[in-house]
Amino acid sequence: MHHALHIKNGIVIDPKNGVKAEKMDIFVKDGKIVEESEVKGEDVKVIDASNKLVVAGGVDMHAHIAGSKINTGRTMRPEEMRVVRNIANKFRAAVGRVLLTSPAIGYEYAKMGYTSSFEAAQPPIGAMHSHEELDAIPMIDKAALPVFGNWHFVFKYVEAKDIEKLKTFIAWALERTKGFGVKVVNPGGVEAWMYGGNVTSLDDQVPGFNVTPREIITSLIKAVEELKLNHSVHIHCNRLGVPGNYETTIETIKLAGGFSNDARQVLHVTHVQFNAYAGDSWRTVSSGAEEIAKTVNSMDNVTIDMGQPIFGHATAMTGDAPFQFTLHKLTGARWSNKDSEVEGGAGIVPLVYLPKNPVHALQWAIGLELGLLIDSDKVVLTTDYPNGGPFTEYPYVMAMLMSKKMREGELEKVSPFVQKATNLPAIDTEKTLEEIIHMTRSLPARILGLPQKGHLGVGADADIAIYDLNPLEIDTSNDFEKVYKTFKTAEYTIKSGRILAKNGELVDEYWGKTYWVDATGRVDMEAIKPDIEDYFKYYSVELQNYGVEEGWLKKPERIVI
Amino acid sequence: MIIIKPKTEFVVTVEAELTPDLAEKDVEEIKKFKVYYGKDVVELEELFEVTKEGDDKKLVLDGDFSRVKWIGCRMSDGEIVVKGNVGANCGAYMAGGKIVIEGDADDWLGAEMKDGEIVVKGNAANLVGCAYYGEATGMSGGKITIEGNAGNYIGEKMAGGEIEIKGNAGDFIGTEMKGGAITIHGNCGFVGGDMKAGEIKIGGDFELVPTFVKQEDAWVGDVNVKGEGVVRRL
Repeated sequence: MHHALHIKNGIVIDPKNGVKAEKMDIFVKDGKIVEESEVKGEDVKVIDASNKLVVAGGVDMHAHIAGSKINTGRTMRPEEMRVVRNIANKFRAAVGRVLLTSPAIGYEYAKMGYTSSFEAAQPPIGAMHSHEELDAIPMIDKAALPVFGNWHFVFKYVEAKDIEKLKTFIAWALERTKGFGVKVVNPGGVEAWMYGGNVTSLDDQVPGFNVTPREIITSLIKAVEELKLNHSVHIHCNRLGVPGNYETTIETIKLAGGFSNDARQVLHVTHVQFNAYAGDSWRTVSSGAEEIAKTVNSMDNVTIDMGQPIFGHATAMTGDAPFQFTLHKLTGARWSNKDSEVEGGAGIVPLVYLPKNPVHALQWAIGLELGLLIDSDKVVLTTDYPNGGPFTEYPYVMAMLMSKKMREGELEKVSPFVQKATNLPAIDTEKTLEEIIHMTRSLPARILGLPQKGHLGVGADADIAIYDLNPLEIDTSNDFEKVYKTFKTAEYTIKSGRILAKNGELVDEYWGKTYWVDATGRVDMEAIKPDIEDYFKYYSVELQNYGVEEGWLKKPERIVI
Repeated sequence: MIIIKPKTEFVVTVEAELTPDLAEKDVEEIKKFKVYYGKDVVELEELFEVTKEGDDKKLVLDGDFSRVKWIGCRMSDGEIVVKGNVGANCGAYMAGGKIVIEGDADDWLGAEMKDGEIVVKGNAANLVGCAYYGEATGMSGGKITIEGNAGNYIGEKMAGGEIEIKGNAGDFIGTEMKGGAITIHGNCGFVGGDMKAGEIKIGGDFELVPTFVKQEDAWVGDVNVKGEGVVRRL
């Protein structure tokens, strides 16, 4: 095996380092990008990338790829398991239509030129399961974000306005779950669901606690910023999937005002498409994307991701248990509910997005509106896999954002409802290739707080994708079919300096790292010990059996704060 | 016409998607057709004797095919005659043509079939014309005739076409049925659970789930799912 690579004559786009389609060579040694001088005298493999696009490997900052939710989804959807993607040979057996098995997730990302993915909702008590599954995903680097927004400990410390203890608790929980950052799902709402309800605004009181969603969110932002975690609070807003919810989303976004961080945002609002509906019922529903875009664009400390629906099969799975029940009632499809003790819950419902269905077409249009109207430095491309559809269709979204002509063609195929309920037909914006590369690589890496990811500067991880597309010649407005096809399959996917996939064929298997953040050095763990011991009287597991030891992970990468 | 005879008694099941399209190929090519024997991929001639007589689009499966699955899967025209029993999933996803089974058929006969005809001279097992687990729609067109008896789960999630059973059938007839017709000349067990539309006619005794409303000459339901399916005596 070669320890060094020389990627020759490629046309590089590297937004973080200000490289805009320049012909240059990239050198790789021991899994890192290095200066040319470093590879002198080495056994170098040369890859000729003449007239080809060379970019950093894709970073998916929000997908559901491991844990009890996705596994329950697989169990309840046998029909998803009839598409065979790989028969066991040199590589693992891999199946799945949209809901993929663990090996299939890694392989499909690799074929597409993506090299990192983040599990966006880890039930803390299910951490062991999530990590077992993450460890079964080959090819990519990964991490998991445990959910905090409905955890009784969080309510307790927010109620007591004790930020120090909240910080300590976050550090304890991240260490125990080997988690990467703080995810918040429908804060307070999932607790209300334990009594059959939900919250309807930021100022509803959470049953049994003298706290409101507003207080939970601001306290968590304050705690995360004081701890200086890599990633900010990552929120799935209240009132997801309800017409009129865009106002709550805007109110939530504004909660970030007053906080700042030099390196990144202080609040990441996820799959905003599902939280961008105006109107007061499904009859009067319309897009609230424009108002949200104005708010996001006017602030310098908030980022979002799209949650773009893709027409076809999907599986709704969120930690937002009450929403999942509403969806089940709405569609009549199968439903599974999960309860993770005093930490939160989740639900799963199969879904098909149909272009002729007015609501589905509206959702599709809102996702694109958000992608087009929000600054490219603040919006990340996601489908909230598998909620909006497969991550394998990211190239469709990329091509759509770059071509008005493609959007016009697609608009003809969808329900005419979008013509009056959204502004998508009137939007002329066409993102550039540089912007799209930023939205799929350097931006998510910055939002996650991973300086070694998403770019090709010296010292970065050698996660590289090469596509058969000459950025100096391609007309992204008109050649959208070529753009779509090219980004579906990387000519080369290189992960930590190893060539994993070539023109859609897997060539090597690699086991990526699992990042986790250790902030225990910043807090006094003794301060919350009595509280934790007290609460564990109500858990179904003993405190000493709770959590994941680092040694149990295949390739843990501890980030010490 | 292609005549296919098993060379041995199979120790494990064979998965062979044999369709009349094979009859249009050269006999040497047919012998090389890939089938699964357990987990191994083998050529057809390793397990079967293959002979060709004439050019009509027809397969004659001569012998015991009760451990051979997926016969006629996805076929769209031509004819298959099985001179014996046949294994599971026979005629699954079928879109046209005809399958005649002179013996018995195993589970999943004509599952999710869209068109064409299947005739079983003997008995059929469970899950005739059903949807595979998790799918929303079972048989949506064509006709299945069973001269003998059939097992449980007949026409689950069926949306069109016709199933006729000359003998008796088991439980769960037309569960979640959305269209089409099932006729059972003999007796059967529970009928019509969560039925939304379509018609079930029964000659002998049967048990109806209690959520059907008696009308003049039929029962309509299942009211649990606001269904308008019809169950009547033959």
